[in-house]
Amino acid sequence: MINRRHFLTTVAVGTASAAALAACGTGSGTSAGETGSAENPVTINYTWWGNDDRAERTRKAIALFEEKNPDIKVNGNFTDFAGYWQKRATEAAGGGLPDVMQWDLSYLRDYGQRNQLLDLGTVNINTDAFEKSLLPSGQIRGKTYGIPTSTNAFAVYYDPAKLASLGIAEPDGSWTYKEFNEFLAEVGAKSNGEIFGSTDYTGVWWMFNIWLRQNNIEAFTEDGKLGFTKDDLKKWWNQTAALRGTPAIVSEERVTQLAPKSPFGSNVTATEVTWDNFMAGYLADSGAKELKLAPVPSDDPDNLGLFLKPSMLMVASAKTKFKDAAARFIDFMVNDPEVGQIFKTSRGVPASKTQRDGTTFEGTDKLVVDYEKSIEQYLKDAPEPPIVGFGTLEASFKRVASDLNYGKLTIDGAADAWFKEAEDLIKQNA
Amino acid sequence: MTSTATPTQTLPDAELAHYNPKSESAGTKRAKSTVFHLVALALTAVVLYPGLWMIASAFKPNAEIGGSNTSLWSNNFSFDNFVTAMDGIGGVSTLQFFTNSLILAIGAVVGTILSASVSAYAFARIKFPGRSIFFGMMIATLLLPFHVVIIPQYIVFQQLGLVDTYVPLLIGKFLAADAFFVFLMVQFMRNLPAELDEAARIDGAGHVRIFTSIMLPLMKPALISTSIFSFIWSWNDFLGPLLYLNTPDKYPLPLALRLFVDQTQSSDYGAMIAMSVLALLPVLIFFLVFQRYIVEGVSTQGLKG
Repeated sequence: MINRRHFLTTVAVGTASAAALAACGTGSGTSAGETGSAENPVTINYTWWGNDDRAERTRKAIALFEEKNPDIKVNGNFTDFAGYWQKRATEAAGGGLPDVMQWDLSYLRDYGQRNQLLDLGTVNINTDAFEKSLLPSGQIRGKTYGIPTSTNAFAVYYDPAKLASLGIAEPDGSWTYKEFNEFLAEVGAKSNGEIFGSTDYTGVWWMFNIWLRQNNIEAFTEDGKLGFTKDDLKKWWNQTAALRGTPAIVSEERVTQLAPKSPFGSNVTATEVTWDNFMAGYLADSGAKELKLAPVPSDDPDNLGLFLKPSMLMVASAKTKFKDAAARFIDFMVNDPEVGQIFKTSRGVPASKTQRDGTTFEGTDKLVVDYEKSIEQYLKDAPEPPIVGFGTLEASFKRVASDLNYGKLTIDGAADAWFKEAEDLIKQNA
Repeated sequence: MTSTATPTQTLPDAELAHYNPKSESAGTKRAKSTVFHLVALALTAVVLYPGLWMIASAFKPNAEIGGSNTSLWSNNFSFDNFVTAMDGIGGVSTLQFFTNSLILAIGAVVGTILSASVSAYAFARIKFPGRSIFFGMMIATLLLPFHVVIIPQYIVFQQLGLVDTYVPLLIGKFLAADAFFVFLMVQFMRNLPAELDEAARIDGAGHVRIFTSIMLPLMKPALISTSIFSFIWSWNDFLGPLLYLNTPDKYPLPLALRLFVDQTQSSDYGAMIAMSVLALLPVLIFFLVFQRYIVEGVSTQGLKG
């Protein structure tokens, strides 16, 4: 069997040395790269992660692009999400990244800082139709490495049918943490513990991040250090201290039993806090007729701490020979209204207004789009791309919070444990 | 307490006096055998349960797999998952994935058998300078984790322009890079009596003749267990194809299976499990046909009574 941790360490070492080599190389040229003609088209490689559904949609989009741009052929490849990053890490070390790639925000800084990605500011991609607050999330130190294809926002999911069967009113879209906690407790009490209120929302990193923003604290400082104190974290984990072990919150034992499905997708909880683009997955997993979205709780009704996050970005390899063709393909994928019609919200809500306005949304898609419209007035600037190693931090946040729920750690102990891990990791990557 | 303890204390002595395995009554034998089989069956059930779960889940609707559904069988029995699984992914048919897996697995078996047996013959029967050093180096490659060589290897194949072909996945098999199999065969050959080759040599046979006419036929058990292992390893390999193949048309089954589960969208566990069941069949058949040779091959006993 393949030991993932060993593999990643190896790859990390490898990529780091590759980065060192790359840094010795020459600076990026300003030429457009090789171009093709209709008779003699250039071929660019495009790769993405995703399932059968996305493969079909992408195939259609590529066919459309090739029809409109006879001088470029696009060779599309795909793998699953976990395999995708193993493959990219190896390719980056070997100098063979594909020309254009679908990208995830948490890997942007890592590859961007190591000069593996093309500065898209040097090529011609139209970003006029994008929210100005969104673009910085694809930029590092003034260089644009990624263009968001689509956005997602944080939300509270709930199942209206379950609430109705328990005789609980649907949330009206604005609640404080106290009200949210009372709501969770009510679900647990009225269902006699058959349906839990939710998973422990204090174990979700992004919810914590949003709470920090509600209190005007940035999670990370500009130089990549932690922007909050241990006391902030303790205060956060204390939010649900009274709910742990009651039917308001599903126990960690149960969560583990249900994996890989989420408790919400398994119809064990009535609500869940997560990104709004999980809608289709939850509907498929739970078999529910309808799920709804409400904004996250906040003690300051004017500051919900919400922001749009790129659910996916498009990037190009720094070593691509076809900069111009890559740029035209990225521009097409993020801006073209027909591409919006093909993907709907399966990548998230289209980020470009041109694409969003050119797409008709129905059913589930409409719910997600409407939710993002409804919170528009509360949206603040998206945070910068997360620090290197953010994925590990997020995972350890979840793990420590789950130990807290198991009762293995006290809140003080949990905060100490997480801070130690986080500080070590930040030191390592500095 | 004391009154109940007294009789039990006398029991062991009485039992010991009568205990003699050879004169055990038929009744005791049957009871022992029943207990043994019950325990064995219970253990088998525990070990086989995941397989049973997989087969049962392949016939369930996606929403009923995992999560809070604990029943093994579903009332909504259907073949839908198999239909979805056979549809293929992103325009590539499932049959194509099977064919690719077969090409890789058969290539691996042929390559390993050809190369490992020849190399093993050299190590076991030919005295050449530095033989023990080379043998030691070969064994050392067993200790080298695959992950250490991933990146250097990738760079080599990338520079040679061989990425997205089956060459990186198969070339090692044809060059006896699987030290484990070479070692297995060397050990096997060392147990074959040297008198056999000596006799052949006196009759005028060279190395080629000795190898093909004497060694190969005697090595059948080792060759078969090598085939089985290299088939199964190649059939199940995920990382190699993941790194070296780019075009979905060339993907083998393990890569295709993962495409049904997507963390960022909806996951079709049903289709994935149905395809796992289908993917398991060839390995299972291969194993059933050759399984009686496995033990023989691994226990490196050259000649038997």
